[in-house]
Amino acid sequence: MNLILALAIGVLFGCGTYLLLKPDLFRIVVGIVLIANAANLALMSSGLGRGQSPIRPLGEGAVSDPLVQAMTITALVIGFAVTALLLCLAYRIYVTSHTVDLDELSHAEARYERELEREEVSV
Amino acid sequence: MSPAVPLLLSWIAAAGLALVDGRKRAVCWLAVAALAASFVLLCVLAGQTFSGGPRQTVAGGWPPGVGIVLRADALGALFALLSLGVLLAALVHELLTGAQGRLFPALVLFLATGLTGLFLTGDVFNFYVFFELTMLASYVLAAYGGGGRELRAGFVFAVVNLLGSFLFLLGVAAIYHVTGTLEMTAVAERIGGVEPSAVVLIAVFFFVAFAVKLGLFPFHFWLPAVYTSARPGVAAMLSGAVANVGSYGLLRFGAGILPAQLRLGATVLLVLGAASILYGALQAVSRRSVSEVLAYSAIGQAGYVLVALGIGGTVGFTAAVVYSVANSLNKTLLFLTVDLRGWLVGAAFAVGAFSVAGVPPSAGFFGKLALFQAGVEERSVALVALIFVGGALSFLYMFQIYQHDFWRPGEGEKPPAERGRSSSAPLRAVALAVAALVVGLGLWPEPLLAAGREAAEALEPVAR
Repeated sequence: MNLILALAIGVLFGCGTYLLLKPDLFRIVVGIVLIANAANLALMSSGLGRGQSPIRPLGEGAVSDPLVQAMTITALVIGFAVTALLLCLAYRIYVTSHTVDLDELSHAEARYERELEREEVSV
Repeated sequence: MSPAVPLLLSWIAAAGLALVDGRKRAVCWLAVAALAASFVLLCVLAGQTFSGGPRQTVAGGWPPGVGIVLRADALGALFALLSLGVLLAALVHELLTGAQGRLFPALVLFLATGLTGLFLTGDVFNFYVFFELTMLASYVLAAYGGGGRELRAGFVFAVVNLLGSFLFLLGVAAIYHVTGTLEMTAVAERIGGVEPSAVVLIAVFFFVAFAVKLGLFPFHFWLPAVYTSARPGVAAMLSGAVANVGSYGLLRFGAGILPAQLRLGATVLLVLGAASILYGALQAVSRRSVSEVLAYSAIGQAGYVLVALGIGGTVGFTAAVVYSVANSLNKTLLFLTVDLRGWLVGAAFAVGAFSVAGVPPSAGFFGKLALFQAGVEERSVALVALIFVGGALSFLYMFQIYQHDFWRPGEGEKPPAERGRSSSAPLRAVALAVAALVVGLGLWPEPLLAAGREAAEALEPVAR
């Protein structure tokens, strides 16, 4: 079980990192979502006790750790808010620059910097 | 007084203000009033903490060790007070310049809530929650009301810092797994008995998360674009208040919870800190626009905090605290005066510039002095030389932009009409108040130094 979880976390994190390096805003957002979920899974698997669900009335035997579940659901909600915000930002960039391609965006940035430099020289 | 009081006040005010239209003057001033009230409550709390030791509240009336702990000690109270003061000055500045949006006041209050909670929490996971609240508010603020450039900078800012946050979350998961608790004091007690190789990994997670936040040398690439594209008031909030999260986090988690790992990585911290100082200063010397110089200067100044941490011991930690306070005030002052013109504004900017360079009488001088002391205590010629060279370079670039921006007649990047006109009196009053504080702390440094020492000592019992 430990190995499966570790592999799942590793694969999620790896895929997230791969997507993060893509020159496309929406792929980057998906990459962040994957990394967020890798962290959530790590949080979930850091639980200390394993057993039945911690809901009253309790039966016999061990109870699983409720704290990690509380933490994970908090982290999930935060991840959800973050995703919504990133998608909003990406959409606003698409509306103002008419592209979601990072190369084209950085060309726009470079143009802006060149203009600044030209002004600087003319001063 | 319970640490929950100032936190709840700004939280409720933020949630309430989010529902109303922030473009109305009355709503804006209500936000200022709420922030000021929260600041006053924090002053009272800080006073109690400095005279009577840490204050603690356990949420929901649970016994300590079970419930979530809110804990105000000297270090947390000092940083919370500093950050809220900076936010207050920057908010008033932004409202007076008239640049505002529907959600702007509410966002600043959410930022204040996040920062207060983060500095006053005694729980590792709760720290993450407030950390994210702070960061979410600052992502929105950085991109707020902007065109393409601001949005691009905001997006990069958000993505890079989110990566840092999730690394921090992984660190929290790991720390819970190895110690079985989330309460900072308990974690610090139990971490000694854990297998060292696991703890080193956790320490690296935390270090990267906070270094990204602070904008240290290899993690700085997002910083210049954000600071130059944000409005001056927002840039002041980011560099004066949000950057404190990085220094506080390094102090709390490095010196407070993982002291053995901090000592182990001292050389790395010193090297990265030195690289940051030199890189930031050299880049700043080669720039001409004020906000760019300030952005690179922020990278350099973060390096000093790291060097102080690398030196370690009470002297080093005191230097880190004093330097963080002075640096945050300097950056606020400089960003707030960037766009102003008129009587005494040049003087206010010069105060900030000299304070960055460490010329007495200014708060920055005592920051540098504390660092020199730490360097001498360490008996390291290289460190003292580094701090001296860094100071000389910062004098060079600050004086360069001061001369470039305030001594030149009429023309420039801005249209002459805007450049020559002096700004409104209340705006200049805000900048001058911050300048007076910087000079005041330079003339009468006792409170700052005592607070720094007390904050550094507050870290020690946790470590033991």
